[in-house]
Amino acid sequence: MKTIEELREQIAKTSYICGSCGSCRSVCPIYREIGWESSAPRRKIALAKEVFLKKKEQQATDQYAQRLQECTLCGKCAEICAAGIKTRELWLNLREDLRARGMEHQNLTQMALQVKTTHNISTFPNENRLDWVDDLDEVEVEASKAGSEVAYFVGCVSSFYPMSVGISQSIVSLLDRAKVNYTVLGSEEWCCGFPLIAAGNSQQVTELAKHNLEKVRSLGVKTLITGCASCYHTWTHEYPTILGGGLGFEVLHAAQYLAGLIRTRQLEPGNLEETVTYHDPCDLGRNSGIYDEPRELIQAMVGVNFVEMPHRREMADCCGGGGNLAAVDKDLSQAIAVHRVREAVATGATILTSACQQCVQTLQMAARQEKLPLEVLDVTELLWRSLEE
Amino acid sequence: MEQALQKICGEKRTTTDPFELAPYAKDVAYVPAILVHLLTNPLPKAVVQPISAEEISSLIKWAKQGKIPVTVRGGGSTAYFNCIPMKSGLVIDTNRLQGFSEVELDPGSPKKMVWVKAGMTWKDLDDGLRQQGCAVCSSPSSAPSATIGGWVSMGGLGIGSVPYGSVHDQIMALRVVTATGEIVELARPDKSPARNKGSEQASLQFNDLMGTEGTRGIITEIKLLVRDVPEKEKHLLAVFNNETDTGAMMSWLGGEQFTSLYNVHFSSPEFIMALQKAGYAQEIPPGKYSLEIDLEGKRDEVDQAIALIINYVKLQGGTLLPDEVGAEEWADRFKSLRLEQTLPSLLAAEMTLPVSNFAAFYKRLSKLGQKTDTLCVTYAHLVSPGMALVMVLYPSDELNLIRYIVDLSFTCDLYKLGHSLGGKPYVIGFWNTPYLGKIYDKGERERRRRRKQAADPQALLNPGKGYNPPSIILNSYVFGFGMIMIGLFRPLVLKLLKGGKGQ
Repeated sequence: MKTIEELREQIAKTSYICGSCGSCRSVCPIYREIGWESSAPRRKIALAKEVFLKKKEQQATDQYAQRLQECTLCGKCAEICAAGIKTRELWLNLREDLRARGMEHQNLTQMALQVKTTHNISTFPNENRLDWVDDLDEVEVEASKAGSEVAYFVGCVSSFYPMSVGISQSIVSLLDRAKVNYTVLGSEEWCCGFPLIAAGNSQQVTELAKHNLEKVRSLGVKTLITGCASCYHTWTHEYPTILGGGLGFEVLHAAQYLAGLIRTRQLEPGNLEETVTYHDPCDLGRNSGIYDEPRELIQAMVGVNFVEMPHRREMADCCGGGGNLAAVDKDLSQAIAVHRVREAVATGATILTSACQQCVQTLQMAARQEKLPLEVLDVTELLWRSLEE
Repeated sequence: MEQALQKICGEKRTTTDPFELAPYAKDVAYVPAILVHLLTNPLPKAVVQPISAEEISSLIKWAKQGKIPVTVRGGGSTAYFNCIPMKSGLVIDTNRLQGFSEVELDPGSPKKMVWVKAGMTWKDLDDGLRQQGCAVCSSPSSAPSATIGGWVSMGGLGIGSVPYGSVHDQIMALRVVTATGEIVELARPDKSPARNKGSEQASLQFNDLMGTEGTRGIITEIKLLVRDVPEKEKHLLAVFNNETDTGAMMSWLGGEQFTSLYNVHFSSPEFIMALQKAGYAQEIPPGKYSLEIDLEGKRDEVDQAIALIINYVKLQGGTLLPDEVGAEEWADRFKSLRLEQTLPSLLAAEMTLPVSNFAAFYKRLSKLGQKTDTLCVTYAHLVSPGMALVMVLYPSDELNLIRYIVDLSFTCDLYKLGHSLGGKPYVIGFWNTPYLGKIYDKGERERRRRRKQAADPQALLNPGKGYNPPSIILNSYVFGFGMIMIGLFRPLVLKLLKGGKGQ
């Protein structure tokens, strides 16, 4: 792990590269909503240059801190950056620095304390991790089952939030239907640490990473799957760096795993007469490179009319729910989500799917708020619905 | 002031907060604060984001009453202080003027066009048009950030200018707010003068808005020619051993006038090297001069051009690289700033230059670079059959004030070199006002001043740009002498700092 001095030096070097061209500005969901230059990535980098390269500490004001935390970490700025700056990494480093300066948003400090106490992002005790199983009549979910081939890492949101438990219920139902020998970690599953990384608190993640890795390894599974795009990104991109080495098992997003089951005919999708579009989650798409498998699932369902949104794949717009934005400015997060659900409605779709519990939750709220004729479902929920119907 | 502006644009689209104002005192170029404050007062008193021509009209009328200078800002993606206030005042940020109309057909011709609002970026417009089977005819190399109104107010040359000319040639009509706050619609003069509603009273003419940097009126909407998405695209990447062969190839491409020739992009070996050091362009052999040749159009036209180009590349001793290399170059056409990973803090000179003199320019540039121990990194676009838009960049260090200031003199050397071969600085803005005499002859300068006086007698709009050097320091003689003097110290400073080749 880098020292704060090393991190600040890295920020200084990166900020020097920026040519302030503003390509980032036009794709930034935050700038689109706020509209002032101060909210554009190029301005944030210009301020970082002042603070870290030119050592003008007085520029590190509360407004500077607020703007740095008004970011979904969607990574679209990196995709379009004319100078090739890895901006997402830069934003994370800047947040680490904010925390070191004691300028972290109070809600993020609170969230970190919460995770430390309960090992999840909710206020529920971690023993309640499998409460969502109670509503399943025909599927038995066994925690830490010996001899399992697959472990399902549920994620905090679809473990604890009633709006999202349908995702975990659908995933286990699909695994059960395909006769997969799987297990879950139950109360031994701790938060993956993604919200802490996004808050610039990567130090606290090490303990969580070590715990989770040890528990999954002790199960002896070949594959770990998760339905959460952020958990997937953390397991595949952050844990190997934090823990310094390979995990010893394969990690797949549920959409990848289920697409594999369909290809090998272990799972036959059902019929669904609906017009469906797909929202690429930033942490699964742009930040992890997984675009095709969720689409493969949707198109495998008989009767589905699949339509794409103009902003898709590498250039997909963010749902507004990433980067802890809702904790910093809920209205801003919601405004971004509204923009996205309107784009979905404009395609003629009646169902908007995604492959991320956070995206689904954020987009669902926006669709309800706007009273749009649009149902928002996780792609696994859609697949299970096709089988139920 | 704030209350008056809020009445027009509302609270959310008006700011006088110093934190919010600060970025509007900057564009892409770094200029040492000491120089900026010596010559300008760039921090606006307020910034507003209107959403309609009516709001802009009210803003101008309000500013006129209080004699408050008004500067219009689009993408803020130029480097000449075009959109930075010289005398503080009000900045009108046009980025909330978004959207475009349905594609319409020109009666009696196959031309297609759209009304597009000034604050859209060129990339957003192109992306939107492509969903309807159309595309922009040309775009700036800063298309993801440059706005429609911004590029029209600048030189308007870029990718696609070879077949379609300057963007100024693609505009059929404009909706504009005049310096008196009137809203007028101006049709292209050769179209239908009768449609110039209100233009007589406003003394504003269509051509007043072409490349005049928001100094005569504020463009709110543009009727722009668009094209059908081409049937076929092909992006070839040819490499050559020297500047003579490369220049000959560029001249030939311009002279042949293939209907499918869309764009030609030159990269110098130094530019390629800088990219390669950052991990890009690995497929291009080191030390070569590259030409990306972009063909777009009907399938058979593109195929015919490919066959001819392949032969001519061979004839010039060049080599065509595999197709995917050309395709990748095209995909990354808006990412030339990646070279800043190797060479941060670059200074530059951008000029138009006859293609016939390109090789000679490059040879003399190399000599100048060697003589002054300066690494010159060059890229260029063919922008007409006989003209290239050339960008020469060289490393400096904005963290070292003395180094940076003495390095500025090299830009003057570059313009001198370009001028000796028929080149002209591309854009005026503020920093290039000393070169006005190199860009326009005396008659043209006088005509420009008369038009400014007629369109904006109070000099309300973007004062300090485009017509006269706004300070004695920027007078061409004073400035030229000053640069020579500073230039004399440059070798010594570079020697003391041990390096003219960047970091």
